[in-house]
Amino acid sequence: MSTYDEAAQAPAIPVPAAAEAPAPRPSVLAGNWWRHLVAIVAVVVCLFPVAYILSASLNANASLTGASLIPSHFTLHNFGFILRGSKATSEQTFGSVHFVRWYVNSMIVCFSTAILTVLLGALAAYAFSRFRFKGRRIGMLFLLLIQMFPQLLALVAIYLIMLHLGDVVPPLGLNTLTGLVLVYMGGALGVNTWLLKGFFDTIPADLDESARVDGATPAQVFWGVVLPLATPVLAVVGLFSFVATLNEFAIISALIQTKDHYTLPLGLRGFIDQQYGQHWGPFAAGVLLTAIPAVILFQFLQRYIVSGLTQGSVKG
Amino acid sequence: MHYDPISVSSTAAPTPAPAAPAFKPSYLARGIAAFSGMPGFVVKIVFLCVVNALAIWAAAVLAGRHNWPAFAVLVLSTAMIDAIYLVPRRPGLIPLKFLVPGTIFLVAFQIAPILYTVNVAFTNYSTGHIIGKAAAITAIKQNSLQPAQSGTTYVMAPARDRSGKLVLILQDSTSGKTYVGTPKGLTPIPSAAVTVKDGAIAGATGYTLVPEKELFAIGQKLTAYRVPLGGDAAIQPQGFNTAVPLQPSLRYDPKRDVFVRISDGAVFRDNGRGSFVSAAKEELEPGWSTHVGFLNFSRGIHDPLVRNPFLRVLVWTFVFAGGTVFLAFALGLFLAITLDKPGLRFQRGYRSIMVIPYAVPGFLSLLVWGGLLNDDFGVVNRLFHIHIPWLFDPNWAKVSVIMVSTWLTVPYFFLVAMGALQSIPKELIEAAKVDGGGAFAIFRRVTLPLLLVAVAPLLIASFAFNFNNFNNIYLLTGGGPATNDQAVAGSTDILISYTYKIAFAAGKGNDYGLASSIGIVIFFIVATVSGISFWRTKALESVR
Repeated sequence: MSTYDEAAQAPAIPVPAAAEAPAPRPSVLAGNWWRHLVAIVAVVVCLFPVAYILSASLNANASLTGASLIPSHFTLHNFGFILRGSKATSEQTFGSVHFVRWYVNSMIVCFSTAILTVLLGALAAYAFSRFRFKGRRIGMLFLLLIQMFPQLLALVAIYLIMLHLGDVVPPLGLNTLTGLVLVYMGGALGVNTWLLKGFFDTIPADLDESARVDGATPAQVFWGVVLPLATPVLAVVGLFSFVATLNEFAIISALIQTKDHYTLPLGLRGFIDQQYGQHWGPFAAGVLLTAIPAVILFQFLQRYIVSGLTQGSVKG
Repeated sequence: MHYDPISVSSTAAPTPAPAAPAFKPSYLARGIAAFSGMPGFVVKIVFLCVVNALAIWAAAVLAGRHNWPAFAVLVLSTAMIDAIYLVPRRPGLIPLKFLVPGTIFLVAFQIAPILYTVNVAFTNYSTGHIIGKAAAITAIKQNSLQPAQSGTTYVMAPARDRSGKLVLILQDSTSGKTYVGTPKGLTPIPSAAVTVKDGAIAGATGYTLVPEKELFAIGQKLTAYRVPLGGDAAIQPQGFNTAVPLQPSLRYDPKRDVFVRISDGAVFRDNGRGSFVSAAKEELEPGWSTHVGFLNFSRGIHDPLVRNPFLRVLVWTFVFAGGTVFLAFALGLFLAITLDKPGLRFQRGYRSIMVIPYAVPGFLSLLVWGGLLNDDFGVVNRLFHIHIPWLFDPNWAKVSVIMVSTWLTVPYFFLVAMGALQSIPKELIEAAKVDGGGAFAIFRRVTLPLLLVAVAPLLIASFAFNFNNFNNIYLLTGGGPATNDQAVAGSTDILISYTYKIAFAAGKGNDYGLASSIGIVIFFIVATVSGISFWRTKALESVR
């Protein structure tokens, strides 16, 4: 998993809120009709899958064949089905759905990874930003370079390391959520560190100095001065780490083996893979339950992302 | 008119804004600040306790197994961590305090795996070449056992002795002599002790026969059971009630490090690539894992079985990544230009809908599109009354993959272009208008160049991201559909998913050596692309 990629995808350029119209708003659509036409086409293309998923989740006909834009019979049964889960047949076969379990597992892994990534990244960034020591420049460049080697390619090695680790300390090994978080921590430093360091550099060193004069230790300066002033950028790094972890598929599918440790990507993919046709409705319900919080969080943090990276610096 | 391109590309390094009116820390900020006091100290101590507890646990296990090198590394690194955090105020150690936590994980789960991978890239580590040479020799000896020429067979019954160990009760079917066979050897027992009924052994004094219904459960154990006869010969069960003596068909000569086939004297030599091979190119199974130099890399050039799929995948990876970025940027820019009109109604509404594909976790969108594009029941086909095999025809699958990836990426470039457009000084556009430039000319000569300067690094970053976009391929088509050249690579596999399949795909064998070497190639490609981007940004920064 590499949060570098996700960070690269971040809308880093300022997106000012829709520019407010100058006082007289044109009363006719005249010159703008084509703009609306293009926008409406774009909106339709964006919403097309969303609409189908919404309709499928509310449709009594749960199969993919029965999917249509307007549900033939409204029902909330699909939500009930996916939330209750089913253990109709044995653990390993088709019928079993543990959506809630997958959800909880995903949240545990993603929150731990996001928080720890931010913490480890910020600690290192603080050292790179505030101290001058041997190997500082080399260290920074090395972090950038090492990120270009996808962790996914070293999967065999990671698997073997986890196998041995689990052999010695079972709670950290293969098929554990803690083990998974440990592996993701391998990517905690890297571009995150660069991003955070860039931000820390803009926090005036005078602030540190005055705190130091008052007798604060470096750790107290870090926790009490630098980090609180960097909350917006911490939120951004955390969000991207969260999303990247949630989307990660390859490492998780190699390290997690039993269904009780499945996360959303593994669970939903396995579920839909085996019964594309018949369980489209419950699948759609699961997709909605996963996507809606993400979209809300995104809309909420969008301001943070934008303002955090562009105007988020502090007064000096 | 002075224009500073950097002000547009405030990518990572934010520029200080004018001071905010009043400093009001948020709850989150205040929460974080709380850690600077007692809570932070407590957390630090708790963390150290956990680390030490885990270290003691691991140390106990390692000591129990006499794994002293690992034990030493563990004890030393734990002692180092404790020293860094507990020894008071050594100015030289302070940066380490902040660097150590992340570095430990970096070393364990990023650097160590990479070093291992680089090492594997120069070996033949793959299915059939997993074990070491000594183990391979033992396995070849085992495999070379064949039913003896003498034609002797034994009537057999699996049984348990008094301590419950599995043994074989045997009766030579020609001489009628009876034996007990164990993994230690063959012991004669008096024929009176064995009851034979209808040509099958029905009982033996001092032993309990394994009941018929339990036979299946011990089937695997039985197949692997060997009763050594001296030399390399042995008796092996065949099914549940007969056994045959086996003789080695190969003889290992440790001095010359060769196997000799007993029947015709053919010599199998170590070929330096982890196999014993005869002059007639016959190979003994299994081989062993060994260093093979640049063989894996040169296979990409000389071996058509590797070269052809690799080149096909390489070209497609560039087409996929380049095509996705180009289309997404073009569409995103087009949408941004369309909406970038002060006073346009519903602008905010349009925008918040258009970013939805970006806000939804990608894996969900990919799984959903997989369903929508399904050619039998898929909504897309039914909606337009067409029957296009979106995911099951090699060419259409490529189109689908690029289409869906574009759908996922457009919002990002829309947001980026929107921001970039709004930061282009309006005076420039006005000036061009005054000079009599048409709308298109202004776009081509003024807007686009300024925009490209700002987004070029993001375009390259997005290219590098899509170059390794495992999910978009794996979750949509799984790399498929299969091609007709029987290669591991399907028609939509990009390098990273191809590599993943080489290493992990069941059915066609796992070639970790080749996969690792392709991984290194990917690293160099991405590093080159990113290096160019880095160098360009540097060049831009030096302008200022």
